[in-house]
Amino acid sequence: MSTEQSTAPRTLAEDLRARDDEALSGLLRARPDLLSPVPNDLTQLATRAGTRASVVRALERLDRFTLQTAEAMAVGPDGCDLGVLGALMPDVEAPAVEAAVERLRERALVWGSDERLRLVRTARDMLAPSTGAPSPTGLGPTVAEATSGTSPGRMQELLADAGLPATHDPVSAVASLTALFSDAERMDVLLASAPRGTTEVLGKLTWGPPYGETPDAGRHVRAADAVTPVQWLLARGLLLPSGPGNVVLPREAGLYLRGGRAHRHHEPVPPSVEPVERDPQAVDAAAAGQAFTAVRTVEELLKRWDTGGPAVLRAGGLSVRDLKRTAAALDLSEQTAAFWLEVAFGAGLLASDGDVDEEWAPTPAYDEWRQHPTERRWEQLAAAWLTATRVPGLVGTKDSKGRVLAALGPDLDRSLAAEVRRRLLALLAGLPEGGAAGRDQLLARLRWDRPLRDGADGLREQIMDWTLLEAELLGVTGRGALSSHGRALLSGGHPAPLLAPLLPQPLDHVLLQADLTAVAPGPLVTHLAETLAVAADVESKGGATVFRFTPESVRRALDAGRSASDLHAFLAEHSRTPVPQPLTYLIDDVARKHGRLRVGAASAYLRCDDDALLAELLADRRSSGLGLRRLAPTVLAAQAPPDVLLERLRSMGCAPAAESADGDVLIARADAHRTPPRSAPVPVPEGPPVPDAVLLGAAVKAIRAGDRASTATRRPAVPAPADGGLPRSAAAETLAAMQAAVMVGETVWIGYVNADGAASQRVIAPVRVEGGFVTAYDHTTDEVRTFALHRVTGVAELADEPA
Amino acid sequence: MNDGPLIVQSDKTLLLEVEHPKADECRRAIAPFAELERAPEHIHTYRVTPLGLWNARAAGHDAEQVVDALVTFSRYPVPHALLVDVAETMSRYGRLQLLKHPVHGLVLTSSDRPVLEEVLRSRKIIPLVGARVDPDTVVVHPSERGQIKQFLLKLGWPAEDHAGYVDGEAHPIELDETGWALRPYQRQAVEGFWHGGSGVVVLPCGAGKTLVGAGAMATAKATTLILVTNTVSARQWKHELVRRTSLTEDEVGEYSGTRKEIRPVTIATYQVMTTKRKGVYPHLELFDSRDWGLIIYDEVHLLPAPVFKFTADLQARRRLGLTATLVREDGRETDVFSLIGPKRFDAPWKEIESQGYIAPADCVEVRVNLTDHERLTYATAEPEEKYRYCSTTATKQHVCEAIVRMHTGEQTLVIGQYIDQLDELGDHLGAPVIKGDTSNPQREKLFEAFRQGEISVLVVSKVANFSIDLPEAAVAIQVSGTFGSRQEEAQRLGRVLRPKADGRAARFYSVVARDTVDQDFAAHRQRFLAEQGYAYRIVDADELLASD
Repeated sequence: MSTEQSTAPRTLAEDLRARDDEALSGLLRARPDLLSPVPNDLTQLATRAGTRASVVRALERLDRFTLQTAEAMAVGPDGCDLGVLGALMPDVEAPAVEAAVERLRERALVWGSDERLRLVRTARDMLAPSTGAPSPTGLGPTVAEATSGTSPGRMQELLADAGLPATHDPVSAVASLTALFSDAERMDVLLASAPRGTTEVLGKLTWGPPYGETPDAGRHVRAADAVTPVQWLLARGLLLPSGPGNVVLPREAGLYLRGGRAHRHHEPVPPSVEPVERDPQAVDAAAAGQAFTAVRTVEELLKRWDTGGPAVLRAGGLSVRDLKRTAAALDLSEQTAAFWLEVAFGAGLLASDGDVDEEWAPTPAYDEWRQHPTERRWEQLAAAWLTATRVPGLVGTKDSKGRVLAALGPDLDRSLAAEVRRRLLALLAGLPEGGAAGRDQLLARLRWDRPLRDGADGLREQIMDWTLLEAELLGVTGRGALSSHGRALLSGGHPAPLLAPLLPQPLDHVLLQADLTAVAPGPLVTHLAETLAVAADVESKGGATVFRFTPESVRRALDAGRSASDLHAFLAEHSRTPVPQPLTYLIDDVARKHGRLRVGAASAYLRCDDDALLAELLADRRSSGLGLRRLAPTVLAAQAPPDVLLERLRSMGCAPAAESADGDVLIARADAHRTPPRSAPVPVPEGPPVPDAVLLGAAVKAIRAGDRASTATRRPAVPAPADGGLPRSAAAETLAAMQAAVMVGETVWIGYVNADGAASQRVIAPVRVEGGFVTAYDHTTDEVRTFALHRVTGVAELADEPA
Repeated sequence: MNDGPLIVQSDKTLLLEVEHPKADECRRAIAPFAELERAPEHIHTYRVTPLGLWNARAAGHDAEQVVDALVTFSRYPVPHALLVDVAETMSRYGRLQLLKHPVHGLVLTSSDRPVLEEVLRSRKIIPLVGARVDPDTVVVHPSERGQIKQFLLKLGWPAEDHAGYVDGEAHPIELDETGWALRPYQRQAVEGFWHGGSGVVVLPCGAGKTLVGAGAMATAKATTLILVTNTVSARQWKHELVRRTSLTEDEVGEYSGTRKEIRPVTIATYQVMTTKRKGVYPHLELFDSRDWGLIIYDEVHLLPAPVFKFTADLQARRRLGLTATLVREDGRETDVFSLIGPKRFDAPWKEIESQGYIAPADCVEVRVNLTDHERLTYATAEPEEKYRYCSTTATKQHVCEAIVRMHTGEQTLVIGQYIDQLDELGDHLGAPVIKGDTSNPQREKLFEAFRQGEISVLVVSKVANFSIDLPEAAVAIQVSGTFGSRQEEAQRLGRVLRPKADGRAARFYSVVARDTVDQDFAAHRQRFLAEQGYAYRIVDADELLASD
């Protein structure tokens, strides 16, 4: 053990131990999965940070350049310094590489000093090219790996043909060949003698994939027999067999051909997003207009389902037919209708009522929501949308089993969605105010920020497109640029005060025209809108609303208890212009027929078994304005409309009930249909949430404390058995000890029971723990083999470390 | 939120507040690309359609101007999607152009190769084109010039036709402007048409469409084929042309059921052109009988389908369409656009009325209460008989006669659908009746007498719906119509819109039986006029008669 090693950390755990609390917090913030549950000490933290699942998560969250740096380290020698790493990325400025290494270090993917950088072994295994899996760099396995199955005799042949002196054993032969391939000058000389066409063959393999197919793969070609360029390369080990009919270009040769580059292109700088300037005021105005539409659309949607909506499918969700119907009713495309449904659902305004025949219905939260002013309502919708993981864009597409995904149905959650949404809006927020950006630029930037596998990348592209569309629909963005209220939403502030002044103020008047239309040149105050919606049909929506009066609509208003004079007064009061003659005529004409249907001039009747009470009412002075008239001993006719009559009778202390034609008691308005209290669906983001500062601080403190406790005693985790019997330890401890041994590169003593039940003791150096098996160098038999973990009776540290 | 006069709706209609101070400015800005759909008193409705946008492109406007107009005048933020859609739609026009190639003749070229590839892949287009000259150009069979324009429009890539026109056989025609002159809007219409090459001029009834035609002929100075709806209208055209231009009786021929003259200027009826014998159209050769320099289509909204087919083969000749409305009950507006041409000039009724070129009109719907007996008969009538019965009831006749008496001394037309009803009315009123079997000389004699004021009441059937010129008709009474035809209503109103010598307002009565299908049809018919700003008053027959 040299003095240098006493200062440099020997393990990731030691490296972590040397970091300050700030750095540990940083690590836990970047990799929140390490926190659940909170590890006991730093050794456990390091072990967990080295597990495959956690490393995969960490790698997936790297930006493209940092990932490239990690990949370069994986193809470079283990424990290289910054200089060597820099040589693998020759086009990149040193500070950029250092910064990337620092980012990797923060995430505990790299440890050790700058002179001896160590990539966590699991990450190395994943990123380095192996015989099985090609590497993202497009480089092949090393000479040593590629020749592992080659006979010593063949190795010597390769050496001879490459013009190298013979060696005593295969290990030195590999070293000699590796040295040749890594030496650019000697390679130049060697390749200068190559026959024509060799460069082309190598050129095909240089940037990967490094595998080629050739019938010569299995043959032991000698230099003297080589005819074709492939044979020439095979004879000298520049191509090595990798399977039947397949050859591979060894990593060292590949790097030489690439001039030492680990990647063809390095992208140390994120692709820029050029702002397309828009007038910020116009952006806010457009977004506010859309925000207003959003709130109104959701309200209209839920109002349609006010007294019970469509049935819930057995598999959950809304049937295609109901979606179509809803879309048609709102005059929207099905995709857009699905979006609004999901927005309402996500905000907890809509849910299944949970009855035997399940139906969709507004929740009690909807009633509460309706009480708020428009801007607050928007805020609620937008906030729910921002964090939702449900992806409305998927509605109508098919899942892997060929089932069509239903709106409001299951399987719409995509954990990627919330992140993409936030990142995308953050990108827009990073532009100057009123800045929009091209879709392709945004996509390129997202891709750089977080490279994904092909499938996930495609999904992200879709989600991004949908998000751009949805943000525009909701009015978070306007003309492609983030609005000021959108900015506030994103930063967790309160957008409502910013939005409020931009929204159109409700009007209390309409314009009546002779073609029997009424135009409301803006949103209407609620009572006006409601009355007009009854008395006229909506013809066109948008900034304004166009209503058309038809005989049917007027009749509808009369049915709803309004009299002709009511309507005349109502129109005269709310029209800015004189009420046109044809409209007046229309109302009178319809009312005339309406009256005829009810026979006679009475607008209401009073029925009572007690004729004394009726007589009393007739005599009462307060009822004089009602125009009561006795039709029969127990029946009074009234000139006042029923609502007035009811009202007046109530004020006179009576308790009248309205009656329907066949004498049933009429209930004024059916109770609105509501679900029981329901909570909004919880987003399912991938992995645990990012911990807050308090939790982080506590966690770091706890880990430190646990660490001090465990390092102070310095006892082996598993005591070595005293009696020389089989070591015994619990299964969990066995696993942890094995993983620790892999991390540290320790040799351990295990007890093992083979398939026949025979027990033995072995001394092994574990290399990899995976899928219930340990791959280890068995010192007892001097070979690498795998042990089933469940057959390992226990692990113990060796009393003395082997030399 | 600015304070503009315009509100853009999500269904692509534009609402224009007429009383707004900027309304006129806004109207001028949006008129090139938006069709005026309704023009009642306070809020006018315009609609933005692909055809309208392409019309604007054809007139040399670009998307920038359209978007700018919308954004400038809109009261509320314009939905971004709509602006994108406008730009996208407009950019489609003119990507493909029909040109005359010095070597290959008629060619279709594209400034955007993928578009050309896309349309050439269409099965409808393949038979119409020939060899590929270069990557951006393909030869089009000259005979398919109309067809290819129709199909390209259907594919959403309307082609701009720059292939030019043949001059046709020259013939000297001059306007003879003694005692009259082309009105400014007529002159603009002629210029607009001539500048565009081919296209449609939209003018209200009574605004002098014939003179626009004459003006176009005087500009073309070439042999002209004029297609009109019927013989009466053909005579009228001839009469006007002889009076207003240097043409003489002998130079103008009539090609109708009775006469088959082919002269330098020939007026043919749609009916004779579309007569089919043994599966062929024997009169089709008229199109080829001379080297016509100009073809005029009167009442283009009535153009029968076979004429479209012939027109497709006439794309090398200048074509002028004249109409009061582009609304076709059969929805073939796109064929008018691609075969006759884009709209070149448009003036709303009210505008021309305010300039004093057409008379203001007072439209009154008179509701008649049927007697109990009539109501019972109506209720028990067969469904297909119901309309006929309720629109010809005796009560209606009485009311109609009463109205005629109210307007004694004024030139009055009574218009109806059912012959026996008209005959009966004619009897009671002592007025002559013009119907389908009235001979043409007799018709002209009666019209002339009416014009001269020798007779003051004329009862006409639907033969008089179109293109008869009755300058002094001050009152029209409609007793029955072709069900709910909006177009017929407009034409009939047009009968009284000729400016009166004394500047009086015209009266247009529609007598309607209450609570019957007559009333429903009337409502439908009136919508067009109400939308054009002609508000109907509705009065009860009893009231109307009592007041006088």
